[in-house]
Amino acid sequence: MTRVDSKSPPPAASPGKLMRLEEKLYNEYIQFFEKAERERRWNVFEDIPWSTIKTDASEETALCAETFLSVEMYLPDYVAGGINVVRKYFGQSWFQANWGYEESKHSLTLMQYLLRSKKRTDEQMFDLQNKIFDKVWDLPFHTARQMTFYGCVQEMATFVIYVKHRERAAAEGDDCLRTIYDFIARDEIAHTRFYQGVIKVLLEEDRAGTLADMAHVFANFKMPGVDLVPDYDSRILKMREAGIDRGVFIQKVYLPILKFLGVSRHEMLAAQKQALAARADAKAEGETPKLIVAPHLNGTPVAQA
Amino acid sequence: MTTMDQKNLLEMFKTVAGRVDKRDFPNVTAESVITELGIDSLSMMQIVGEMETELGVMIPDEDLVELVTVGDLCKKVGQRVEAGA
Repeated sequence: MTRVDSKSPPPAASPGKLMRLEEKLYNEYIQFFEKAERERRWNVFEDIPWSTIKTDASEETALCAETFLSVEMYLPDYVAGGINVVRKYFGQSWFQANWGYEESKHSLTLMQYLLRSKKRTDEQMFDLQNKIFDKVWDLPFHTARQMTFYGCVQEMATFVIYVKHRERAAAEGDDCLRTIYDFIARDEIAHTRFYQGVIKVLLEEDRAGTLADMAHVFANFKMPGVDLVPDYDSRILKMREAGIDRGVFIQKVYLPILKFLGVSRHEMLAAQKQALAARADAKAEGETPKLIVAPHLNGTPVAQA
Repeated sequence: MTTMDQKNLLEMFKTVAGRVDKRDFPNVTAESVITELGIDSLSMMQIVGEMETELGVMIPDEDLVELVTVGDLCKKVGQRVEAGA
């Protein structure tokens, strides 16, 4: 069993173990990529029913789409940070490149929606873009394993949010927006499945260490737009009105992820105890929670990109 | 489930919540809405887990999402204790 503490460096993995691990991660990526190429590719210009776009959609609908777009627009930071933290691992770094391509389509599509529906002007889009690029998204975690699990939770949460909004668009008879959210949600759950596949492999290799990292990420998780997207708090209030809240997080994100990974709630809670205690200590002292040093895939923490 | 049992469970909740969140919850009642206590969803899962462990019961995952008030939680836990599960 791997012991996790904040003083001694994590043990290095043997070369044989690393080769086996890399082979498994490569297989996860090839399965993901093959399915994406065969079944999931879609075209921004041809597959969205742009001719049915509603120009009388509510401002609330537009604000939600703009919020999604804003979060997606930190793509340069996500790609740069994300790919550097896993660059030693072929399967994961090639996944990040593919992920960046798919996410870039999401932001382009949402931008097209806002412009074609006339809910926003070119000038407003440039203004938003400038505000967004004024701030930089920093990696919330600093090892490949923690970032992989962060990706898993974040993509699953994003999937749930897009599904909610897809249902809402369908109920409002907005076929164009429903199709957009449908394609994006499909991509997000595919990303989630890749991350889950990788985490399953990591659990097989080092269950205690992976559980510790999962607990740490859960305890310190926040969506990437927090503190970055302009007017984030007021935007989130509108999102919550559409049925996105903390209860949904437990029901649709936390519990399903554990179930898929074959981790029981009590096994997770045991690992979480330490992470939550550290967070509560930091909160009581008015500090930002410190990162727990946890074993990295190759035994060394990765420097922030 | 008697009123006394529910009172005991409420006291247990206060103790466990205090331990998990590292602060006191003196004014919590059965009617208190969990999210209004400033307890986030993850800490809440921890509190439920610790109560389950101490009492040797297990609340099904699907029941967890229905918990709104502290009384809801105490009732669910009490039901599992009575059922011996």
